[in-house]
Parts: sequence; structure tokens; C-alpha cells
Amino acid sequence: MKYLFLLNNSAEQWDEWRSLSRAERHERREESLPRWNDLFGWMSEQGIDVSGLELEDPANARVVRVQDGETLVTDGPYVETKELLGGYFLADCKDLDQAIELAERVPVADKGSVEIRPLVTH
Amino acid sequence: MKVLALIYGNEEKWAALTPAESEAVYDKHRAFAAVAAAKLVTGAELASTSAATTVRVREGQTVVTDGPFAETKEVLGGFYLLDCDSLEEAAELASRLAEAETGAIELRVGREEEAA
Repeated sequence: MKYLFLLNNSAEQWDEWRSLSRAERHERREESLPRWNDLFGWMSEQGIDVSGLELEDPANARVVRVQDGETLVTDGPYVETKELLGGYFLADCKDLDQAIELAERVPVADKGSVEIRPLVTH
Repeated sequence: MKVLALIYGNEEKWAALTPAESEAVYDKHRAFAAVAAAKLVTGAELASTSAATTVRVREGQTVVTDGPFAETKEVLGGFYLLDCDSLEEAAELASRLAEAETGAIELRVGREEEAA
């Protein structure tokens, strides 16, 4: 069963991240690396096939709409929520239980959330 | 650059589409996939948010809740991952999706690995 995992950071975390210098961001990444490596190690042990992407700041998002044949492109995330998407995983898990086990190992789950969405297969 | 195109719309309206209307939406997706073929990395349609599960870990305890993390009228229904030359190019491709007319497509830029 394929699932999309939406890795959501809290708005506060995004604000804090924006206040960090390049060097501080690098340091943060280095600090969190062991936990991410544990997660990837676990997925590999479980034989979970995964792809994913880390996203840039949601403040740089664009929203595309088409109205009466005109394309309108506006700035900012589409939905203003307390948590904002910071990345995703697309993974093939045995079942929802395994997907939940994966989600709780994602470092983002500590302060934000991981939303699991099953894919539609046609 | 990697661009994630998030497809948002009203789930109730999607559910209320007639088979012919639904087929017209899929036709536009197929047309999009044909035009975007060289730029299209992957994509997927998501099952209804009623099948969503949200996981949080607080003070070492895993908290699992049914449903999406935010209750909003406009929900994520699917996505495409594009490898584009610019955000403008991604916007042009995104404007071809049926959901750009009925909902909205949010474009998010993927992080490039920094040179060491």
C-alpha cells in the first residue's frame, strides 16, 4: 500500500528557522542528522521503498489559479494553518500500522505532525 | 529545480462529480502528463481525507488521530513532482490542470543540497 507522508512543521518552528543564520541552520541539520539516519536505516531494514523531498520555506510558495481562462499566480501558501508542509515521503508500506510506525520515527513528529494519506490506485 | 505541485480542491465537490465530469478531469490530467512528460518526476492521487491519519509524538508518547492535521474546506487531493527550469515554467504547467480552475495548485520549491 502506497502512502504519502506530509511532514508538517509548526508555524513557530518556521519562524525560528527564518531567524537562524546559514551557519546555525547547518549546525541544526548536523544535530538532527543521526535521527534522520536512524529513520532511513529502519526503512531500509523493513524493506520500505521510499522517495521524498525537503521543501523550501512555505513563505516562498506560489499559488496558481485559472479564472475565465486567465492564469493568476499569487504568493504564499494556499492554506494558512498552524502547521505548514516542510517535506514529504512517498513510501510503500505493508499496512497502516507500519505507516504509523514510520511516521512516529520522523523527527518532525515531535514538534509538528506527520499526516499519512493513502494513495488511490487506478 | 524540483517543484512540488500540490493540488487543492473541495472534496465534497469532487465526490459529487458525475462519471462524465470526473472523466473530463482525468482527461486534463492525462493531457497535462503528456505536455509535462519531460519535466514530470512523479505524481499521485490521494484517497479522501476521511482515510487520513495524523501522527504526533509529544513527550515521548505517540498520539495518533484520524483525519487530516487541519480541518479545511479545501483539501490536498494529489500532487505532481516536477523538475523545472523555473517556477514560472512550473506555474505554466500547473495552469493546465482542471483543479487550477476549480481549486488551486500550490507550488513549493524543493531544497537544493548545499555545496559543502
